[in-house]
Amino acid sequence: MPPTTESMVAASAAVASNPEAPTESWKLKFCTVCASNNNRSMEAHLRLSTAPTAFPVISFGTGSLVRLPGPSITQPNVYGFNTTSYNQMYEELQSKDERLYRNNGILNMLDRNRNLKWGPERFQDWVPGLPRLDHVSKGDKGALGTEGGVVDVIITCEERCWDAVVDDLMNKGNTLNRPVHVFNIDIKDNHEEALLGGKAILDLANRLNDAAIAQRNTHGPEGWENGAGAARLSFDESVPEILAEWQEKNPNLPALWTLAWL
Amino acid sequence: MAQSTDQVVDQVAQLNAARNLVLGDAALYPRIVSGILPIVGANARLELRRWGADFLAETFASPMLPTAQKQQLAPGVLQTIQEILGLPETDTAVLSSLVQTSASLYPLIFRHIVNHPEDNKTWETMNAIKQDILRKMDSFPCPVKICCIKFLQRVVQVQTPGLIADPRRPDQNETSLAVVPRTHALLAIPHLEAESSGLLDRLLGVFQEETSDPLIVNATLNCLAPLIRTRQSIANKIILTVLEFYPAKHVLPPFTPAVLVSVKSMERTARALLVNVMKKNPSHPLVGKMQMYIERLMQSRLEVTDDASRKRGLPLEPTDGLDNAKRARLDALTPPLLNIPHLPPGPTSFNQLFTLTQDVGLSSFDVKQLPPDLVVKITVPLLSQVNQSMLTQAVDAIRNRYQTITKEQNLKRQQQLAAAAAAADEDDDYEPDYDPMDVGENISEEATTVAAEVADLQHDLVSLGPFVLPQPPPLTEEEAGDVGRSAVARVFGMIDAADSTPSPAQSKSQQQLGFSRLAGSTFDRDAWVVLLTRLATRSPAGLESGDKGKGESTLSRRQTTISDSIRETLYRYILEDFRARLNIGIIWLNEEWYNDRVRMKEAASERDDQGDEEPTVALYYDTWALRLLDGFLPYLDSRDIKVLVRFLSEIPEVTIPITRRVASLAKDPERVNLCVQALMYLIMFRPPAREMCLNTLEDVYQTYEESRPAAGKILAKWRPQALPTPVETVTNGAAEPAPAAPQAEVQAPVISM
Repeated sequence: MPPTTESMVAASAAVASNPEAPTESWKLKFCTVCASNNNRSMEAHLRLSTAPTAFPVISFGTGSLVRLPGPSITQPNVYGFNTTSYNQMYEELQSKDERLYRNNGILNMLDRNRNLKWGPERFQDWVPGLPRLDHVSKGDKGALGTEGGVVDVIITCEERCWDAVVDDLMNKGNTLNRPVHVFNIDIKDNHEEALLGGKAILDLANRLNDAAIAQRNTHGPEGWENGAGAARLSFDESVPEILAEWQEKNPNLPALWTLAWL
Repeated sequence: MAQSTDQVVDQVAQLNAARNLVLGDAALYPRIVSGILPIVGANARLELRRWGADFLAETFASPMLPTAQKQQLAPGVLQTIQEILGLPETDTAVLSSLVQTSASLYPLIFRHIVNHPEDNKTWETMNAIKQDILRKMDSFPCPVKICCIKFLQRVVQVQTPGLIADPRRPDQNETSLAVVPRTHALLAIPHLEAESSGLLDRLLGVFQEETSDPLIVNATLNCLAPLIRTRQSIANKIILTVLEFYPAKHVLPPFTPAVLVSVKSMERTARALLVNVMKKNPSHPLVGKMQMYIERLMQSRLEVTDDASRKRGLPLEPTDGLDNAKRARLDALTPPLLNIPHLPPGPTSFNQLFTLTQDVGLSSFDVKQLPPDLVVKITVPLLSQVNQSMLTQAVDAIRNRYQTITKEQNLKRQQQLAAAAAAADEDDDYEPDYDPMDVGENISEEATTVAAEVADLQHDLVSLGPFVLPQPPPLTEEEAGDVGRSAVARVFGMIDAADSTPSPAQSKSQQQLGFSRLAGSTFDRDAWVVLLTRLATRSPAGLESGDKGKGESTLSRRQTTISDSIRETLYRYILEDFRARLNIGIIWLNEEWYNDRVRMKEAASERDDQGDEEPTVALYYDTWALRLLDGFLPYLDSRDIKVLVRFLSEIPEVTIPITRRVASLAKDPERVNLCVQALMYLIMFRPPAREMCLNTLEDVYQTYEESRPAAGKILAKWRPQALPTPVETVTNGAAEPAPAAPQAEVQAPVISM
């Protein structure tokens, strides 16, 4: 006899790792994107997933291959997306020339990354809506809340990544009918700038999340009508203003935004 | 509604667990969906309604759940959605999710109806939901409105004919109007098409509004790509509408930072859409327009931001005294002033005139002590760093000084003229001409010499004297040759630059001039050609005769360096396009011939004078005429008779070698006629060459069989005795009535043999 729905739900309640409270724990879901899913997007991934608010976050790269600096500018270390783990890269580079890769910060970076998730993922290979339960079970940081494989906000770290993301979303056909805000924040590809950029991205994420939660809390006709001025703006409407405010605070990180579809 | 919060929390936890189950195994979806529908329905608490709406949206969007299963599930949830929408629902989150769900459901239901024309009820429910959404769209809060845009796009996509990939397997084709059978009971194609056309207009209406909401615009732009890609019939309409849209024009001042963010985002999104379209179809007929649009977008964007920065920048400036960037701009507007010392009283030397520095050490430093290459090394980098305004000020200062001095001088001079006649022999039109480049090097020397010379002569004048340019170092032969060649190259450049076809008026006046015209007086192409040919032939003539005392080697070297290089260049220039430039060749050869004559005459007179030495003259005409002919003969084809005849008739002298070259054309069976006709022309119209040509023709006649029919006719007329035996003549002559007398003459030698 097949189990009834009720009994199944009851049984699985025990399995559920983190029964969330309905409103307080609701958060925007983020996605960070850079070229190789190693430095900038992973720094932001770290920031967002370890912040006090601990956002659900996934991260990608838009490049054709993962490229890490090598002994000279013409000899980069190249890996495939989705097939090489950060740990493999770490061990390979450590055995190649530990001193070099320690000094240029690559090993530190890979060490950080391997503690965050398994390996670099390519944005163009991402199927939005494809469940990401395995990432949760593997303990990827920020995976909690991204089981459904969708996000509310994508933040890229370079203009050509933004172009690639917007273009790829158009190519994917917008089949989910789900809106997604795509931001770009121009961050130079080095460790220092990535640190600063990661901080600024967290700042933006907090501002966006606050606005989104405020909207969620003003439900019903009374809530909607009672707000005044900017508070009456929905989350989506307030995005340009939030970004403008944020941009004034971070004039060195040129930003860009659009509303796209998953 | 009586449930306590705890219960709700508990329930949501259970629901989340259920969701995790289906995320792990999509096969469980049907059971879970039917299980949750009663819990999250219209009467449930807000939290549950939100969860339910989100879950439904996720379910029907999931790539894990096959379309066939979604299609089966779809009719079941329609009722719930309609109920929640009809509440009326007011929560933004629930509404957004429900509209998203509807957008996913619409193609599923449409497909279901295509396959089940009897399911009247489901289609009615779907239509009711659609009408409800479309009606309320404009009054919905913004997040819901955005989702409505996507719903619109979906409906348009479904109700527009798409591509039929395989007509035999309708199930595999994409859901669109094209899969609806013409006789469908519920779906009337014209009606659906009309509706979708109206909805498309509504969707694109956002681009025509006076002020644009960036969210709506971006949401629309970002969902148009699939429509353009998969719906041929409406693609161009969509693109053209987007091409009319300039975001900067659709915003109202003031340009707050948020407005700038919006404009930029709309521009970049529009660009992204068009780039996507162009990448998908690089040969799209509208590619040019799209590219222009993108370029214009970039421009207008600059304008808007410029405008904004100006408006924002100005009021800030006075208060923001510490901003370095702005300070720098103010600095740039008022550059440091140059301190210009007054000239000491009394006579002024060049030295004083040009000295602006007050540093004694600097002004007494003699630059001539430095080696020139060092000066160059110092000066070039310095010049590149000279402050433009400082330079202008310095030049102005010197000019002022100079003008003051000149005025004083003139004044004094006039006074003197009036006072005494003694100063009458003064140099009145004194025009100091100097080259500023040399001043630096020569200033001290000139100043002292001038001072020394002038001081005792003209005590009463300021010590400005005539400036003498130093003699340039003599050119070596190589340098002179180089300079000569570069001059020639420039004249060749003039030929190309000059109008090759003179204006009709000009040519008319030239024709009227006729023989009385002067060569090279009109500055058109012909004039330059004449100049060049004379440069090649006549100018070195004198030089060579001057050289004749020197050794043979010097002479030959000279010739190769100057005149022959011009000839070589001319030769190549003509051969590059000999059909068009043949007249240049003819002009040139005429000049050569004339030059040869003149020099032979001169040599003859010298011989008369001196007697003892035999002066030899190098003749060029023959050599170059042959070279030119050899140059283009191989390229002549059988139709080039006019070119060849013109050349042969207009060159000043036809020689035996030339006729031999022409005869060699007969080797080629295709050009036999060319050869014979050219010779015939010379025989007929160039009497001095007639004998020569007849000999050649005879030769040709004897040697090449192909030439006989044509050459025979000419020989028969002009030199009948050259024709061979009568038998042959008869066979040949059968074609034409050859005169009897010549035949007899031909026979004569045969008989005499």
